[in-house]
Amino acid sequence: MPRERPIYSDFFYDPLTEDVEELLARFQQSDSIRYEYFSAAWRQMGFSDVFIGIVSMAEQKRFSRVTLATAVKYFLPPYSYQIRAGGLYLMFGLYNTQLAIPRVPIRLALGDWDIIQKFLKDSVNSGHQDVVYIYHKLVAAKAIHFTAMPHFLSFLKLRKRKQNNVCAEFIGRSMAVQELFSADILDEVSNIESQYEKLKENTVAVRCEASMTQRDFTARLKDCMAEFLTWQQKTFSQAEADNKGGGGDDEDDDEEEEDEEERDYKASSSRARLISSIKQKSYSNFQEAPKARRHRQPEKLKVESSSSGSEQHYGSGRKRRPPSLRARTWKSLGVTKDESRVQVWLLSAPEQKERVPVKRTNQTPPYKD
Amino acid sequence: MRSLMGPFGTIIEKNYITHDPQRSDVVIQENMAASKNAITNIPDYEYTDVNTNIFHIDSFRTEWLNRLQPGDFSFQSEDQDSSDALFAEEMGISADTMAELKTVCSLDSLRCHPEDQPPDPDVVPPDPTLNTLIQRKKKQDYRATLKISKNRHDLYADELERLTFGKKPETLDDMVAEGEIILNINVYYPAIFEKFCYVRPHITVLMMGSHTLAELRDAICCVSDLQVCGEFSNMPDMAPDFISKDHFKSAFFYFEGVFYNDMRYPECQDTSITTIEWAKDRNFPTYTQAKMEDTRFVDLKIKVGFPYLYCHQGDCEHLVIITDVRLTHKDDCLDKKLYPLLAHKHRVSTQKCAVCHVYIVRWVTTNDQFAPSNPCLFCDKCFRMLHFDTEGNKLGEFQAFPYVDRGAFN
Ligand SMILES: [Zn+2]
Ligand SMILES: [Zn+2]
Repeated sequence: MPRERPIYSDFFYDPLTEDVEELLARFQQSDSIRYEYFSAAWRQMGFSDVFIGIVSMAEQKRFSRVTLATAVKYFLPPYSYQIRAGGLYLMFGLYNTQLAIPRVPIRLALGDWDIIQKFLKDSVNSGHQDVVYIYHKLVAAKAIHFTAMPHFLSFLKLRKRKQNNVCAEFIGRSMAVQELFSADILDEVSNIESQYEKLKENTVAVRCEASMTQRDFTARLKDCMAEFLTWQQKTFSQAEADNKGGGGDDEDDDEEEEDEEERDYKASSSRARLISSIKQKSYSNFQEAPKARRHRQPEKLKVESSSSGSEQHYGSGRKRRPPSLRARTWKSLGVTKDESRVQVWLLSAPEQKERVPVKRTNQTPPYKD
Repeated sequence: MRSLMGPFGTIIEKNYITHDPQRSDVVIQENMAASKNAITNIPDYEYTDVNTNIFHIDSFRTEWLNRLQPGDFSFQSEDQDSSDALFAEEMGISADTMAELKTVCSLDSLRCHPEDQPPDPDVVPPDPTLNTLIQRKKKQDYRATLKISKNRHDLYADELERLTFGKKPETLDDMVAEGEIILNINVYYPAIFEKFCYVRPHITVLMMGSHTLAELRDAICCVSDLQVCGEFSNMPDMAPDFISKDHFKSAFFYFEGVFYNDMRYPECQDTSITTIEWAKDRNFPTYTQAKMEDTRFVDLKIKVGFPYLYCHQGDCEHLVIITDVRLTHKDDCLDKKLYPLLAHKHRVSTQKCAVCHVYIVRWVTTNDQFAPSNPCLFCDKCFRMLHFDTEGNKLGEFQAFPYVDRGAFN
């Protein structure tokens, strides 16, 4: 007699993923990365109730494992900094409210370690003390298993091998191409190229046979990048336009720049280059992968923000919105999570130099009931 | 020697000097191949969600230890207050700010119900809004209409966990070392019986990186090790002495091109040599051999999630899958003597007697005129009552073979 396959035995569980995305979308809507906004959304949704109603301890354990794996998924790239902070808070929340005894630990894989450390370093540099503290608490509680891989692997085909779609609204925008644009690499390439061509011209024996290089290589590369930026601009600013609700006071500058970019998205490479070089300057004191992100601080906090809006998370809580072109493109290309990770990881980093001590707002959100 | 790692400019220059622009491609390809083939010992998927690439377990362990602080994987519990104080110091946070941080991030922040009105953890609330709960409620309501007995694997796993959670040994010598490797290993049984068609019967064994393959071998209990014990219908009292694997020691594991033979006893034969020579004749990649008893898990190069082989009795083959490799944790069983630890066993391993349906099977009979089936399984008590008179004389015709529960370890 074949046994019923235990529930929660896959890596993820769709209804839970939906709940988690709803929670993270609410957190995203708060436009903050403060833990208190996360915990408010958590209480509002009564999120610790996800563990209620499982009678068997083994099932409870399997479910805990699924919840923690889901949280870790959002803690890792390609999601925006804010979502990743939310993923970390979620790890903390789920680990501490799970009903399994002993508690099921959080699995962190060796291959993800360096990017987690990068995230924490960025968080420290940006003064996001609550993010760092929550992580610290998990480590101090010995909540982590240091593993080879995120999941147990038993060569089983998962019951439903679903397309591991990344929630597009949670992804930060890739700056890689803009960075390439602004870096001096293109200049160098074209210098090398012209020198090479010159040398080739002077060497009669080779001139006719050697035809590997393309004389317009740099220009074509620029065109490609401009095209990508155009597409990115269009897609993302549309998503933003869709989502613009009541904005914070500090958004005006960003929007101006954004609109300008929008008008110019067909602009020549030189225009895009100009913008990116301006941006590079504005980020220059943030060394690695400069990205800024906008988020509105709790009212009582002193804001010392240098966000330019180019790397803002662009989604809002309206998760039923049709998927973005990017998401649809990915889908039609059959891009899996792992492939996409290569493309867009390191998309986002926290806002720099925002040394704001965590302060309590007086309005502690109410209990759910 | 051309430097493969040279910067872009260097390559172009060299290509010009060789007057061979085609080389440019070659170099770049070589370059890519070199970086692709490098073994990093940082596991990554070979096939997403299925299995990893190959890595060396001890190097993997070293990679982790290089990245962690000793406190991260120590078995000592940390004192919350002193660890918070340390955190404040490292981060340069004032006492006031730290106090605020602690309040904001306290576990109270996660409480969704008033403290004095906790929900019933066993019952899904009546009008759930979370999708997870809506689904669970549907399922629970449906299940209530069925009668599903509790999953026995689950019970076993629960019990095991309860007994071994954070268990410390009596003497320090038996203490598992901090930063040791722990492996989850599934050993699958050949699907002999029809009832196995839809599930894959297996045991799950936890082993330390310092264990040898021979110790895993000794933890695997298989019916075919017992079939050879002989027929005992005329002398059932003699049987227990013969139930052992001692007579047929030869066996091997196969991982990543290497056959690991059990050579602990003089009568052991290298049963892998047949396969190796067969492969040699057919131009397969060459296989090598090593001794099971000299090979620790940390010495292995393996893919997590990939099916390997355990072969014994000449032809009884079991798939072996290492499903997880990680550092030990303070909540693991820390008593070395309790390893290999059986974390899961398939329910077929505890067969019940065909007569009383209560006791675990000790005997298999064939051609048994008293039995309702052929073969038939009996507990010791029912077997003797049914097949022997009060003086212990055999009644009727049948053959009897000792049957040892598959999951019975020690
Ligand atoms: Zn066997
Ligand atoms: Zn019986």
